[in-house]
Amino acid sequence: MTKITLNGRELEVDASKPLIAACDTAGIDVPRYCYHPGLEPVGSCRICQVEVSEGGRPARVMAACRTQVTEGMVVNTEAAGAHDARRECLEFLLKNHPLDCPICDKAGECTLQDYSFQEQQAASRSTEPRATLEKRVDLGEVIMLDQERCILCTRCVRFQEEVTKKPELTNAGLASNSYITTFAGRPLTGNYQGNLADVCPVGALTLKPFRFQARVWNLEKSSSTCAECSRGCSISVEVLRRGDVKRIRPVFNPDVNQWWMCDTGRFSFPEVNDAERLTGGLIASGDDLMGVTTGEAIRHAAGVLASSSKTALLASPFLTVEEAAEVKVLGEAVGAELLFVSPDPNELKDDLLHTGDPCPNRNGLEQAGFKAISPADAATRVTGADAAILVGERILKLLAGNSLGSTKLVTLDTAACLASGVEACISIPFYVEKAGTWINVDGHIGRLTIARPIPASVQPLERSLVELTKSLSRAGASV
Amino acid sequence: MVIVKRKELSLSERLYLPEIFRGMSMTFRAMFKPAVTRQYPEEPLPTDEVTRGQPRLATNDEDGSIRCVSCGLCEAACPAYAITIDGQDTDRNAITIAGDVTEKFIEREPKEFEIDMLRCILCGFCEEACPKDAIFMSDELELADFTRKDLIYGLDKLKRPVSTLRPRIDYIYKVNERWQASSSTR
Repeated sequence: MTKITLNGRELEVDASKPLIAACDTAGIDVPRYCYHPGLEPVGSCRICQVEVSEGGRPARVMAACRTQVTEGMVVNTEAAGAHDARRECLEFLLKNHPLDCPICDKAGECTLQDYSFQEQQAASRSTEPRATLEKRVDLGEVIMLDQERCILCTRCVRFQEEVTKKPELTNAGLASNSYITTFAGRPLTGNYQGNLADVCPVGALTLKPFRFQARVWNLEKSSSTCAECSRGCSISVEVLRRGDVKRIRPVFNPDVNQWWMCDTGRFSFPEVNDAERLTGGLIASGDDLMGVTTGEAIRHAAGVLASSSKTALLASPFLTVEEAAEVKVLGEAVGAELLFVSPDPNELKDDLLHTGDPCPNRNGLEQAGFKAISPADAATRVTGADAAILVGERILKLLAGNSLGSTKLVTLDTAACLASGVEACISIPFYVEKAGTWINVDGHIGRLTIARPIPASVQPLERSLVELTKSLSRAGASV
Repeated sequence: MVIVKRKELSLSERLYLPEIFRGMSMTFRAMFKPAVTRQYPEEPLPTDEVTRGQPRLATNDEDGSIRCVSCGLCEAACPAYAITIDGQDTDRNAITIAGDVTEKFIEREPKEFEIDMLRCILCGFCEEACPKDAIFMSDELELADFTRKDLIYGLDKLKRPVSTLRPRIDYIYKVNERWQASSSTR
């Protein structure tokens, strides 16, 4: 630890990190474009200049991201000289930056926009026309590049060099004619392309699936946990007008995902924007299914389960720890073994984040006493029983392709079950609509929060499970 | 107790007639003057460029394309939350206005642009917020329909050729100094 004086405050800071990191720890806002805490600092944008005096020498203006912290350093981030240097920098950065803010997806969370607003740097003194470059360079499935907006901070280049270790982007051209491009114009590959749009401080790299979908200030953001693998990255679920999830972004979590997340998780939101989702309940009526309230479906399900002599129970790996506790009570009431469906690891496993295991709460369920079972074995268990309870998000999808025979089925899923033996379908919320806990592959706790309201005709899974257990004990008593 | 003494009336006052003639002279004078009332709705209300009627979206005269780029600033500025915009990608070329091409592409245009006229308070903040000179207060004031749903105006009801909004645009530029400094697409 090193002692420095920062804006008149004496602080103990970590000497292994650059000065700008010390400013962040102290809660002092220093603007930055090229510096990213997860990447090697290069000092290319020069916007983080602050006034530093060392060893009694006169104060000098230095880039905070490339300055090592030394004992007794006196730093002033708000000095007039530092402000002047930063304002000059900003003027150069804005020299060729197009006035695209009305159509730019970054507007509202763009630090270039924020800082030019803060410094009142709106008018340009230059009479030269702005440089014209390619506005739409298609970089594959995920990313669209606007070379005019680019301020050449090279965060994207460094992200690929340092994080994915698979460089595909480069800074081509010389001096003022520089631009970002891929090698030989090839499209980007890999499962971490979405992070490029996150690291880009301006709107040069934008996500194609999010392109013009929403203005960022209209998005309601809630912290949550990614559902796509057992890593359980911390995410921010961003919802437009209490309806569709428009974007999922990683949130910094030093223990799990740092600043990053994979594209599989990032673009998994169509799953929870399903317009065909089940609401209320469905019960078998002759050969058809009849729409009823959740309460009626639960009472019908209890009747079916009470008359069954052998009941199987299969949980989804998407159940939260809290829901698993209620499933356990239900499992004991029907005398079923506690099992959860665990599909085979998929080919998405990589060295960075994705574990390849599509069960976000495997650890939590195993700790709660559930045993993993493959989808094929699970189907065998179902066909061997009189009745089966299938509970949890995506359980029907996980069992799809396996014959469930004519066993009487009670399902609690976001979708309706179309198998022949279905007796009752009870609707449940998606993981973005509930509060709960998942335990990831390393034992870290991932919280789920309510990112959007659940439809009025859908009730929380815990409540449905408690009601089902109660109705079951009443139905059992009357039989 | 207060004793109020009645006023003694003069002869002319007791006769009433002079007062009646005075009143009737007023009536007959007004009868031959031109009428000040207006035959609304047969005769429309007069409007001028200062009238802040319902907001309308300007379309370019040259090709009928909409000027709006769905940036959402009017939506953010609207104090009554009357505006809802959904954007979409477009590769429509920007038209050349007075030989000055500022953009190669428009890139973004509204997919849906709704103004809930029941909520709109005709304040004109949207007009002031717009960076693209795309929304202006028109001289249209009448608002009546049979259902509430019909009063949520979509793109089809909001589009107007920019030439029909011209007097308002010129007026707005005249009164707003800030706009004079940056008259790009006018």
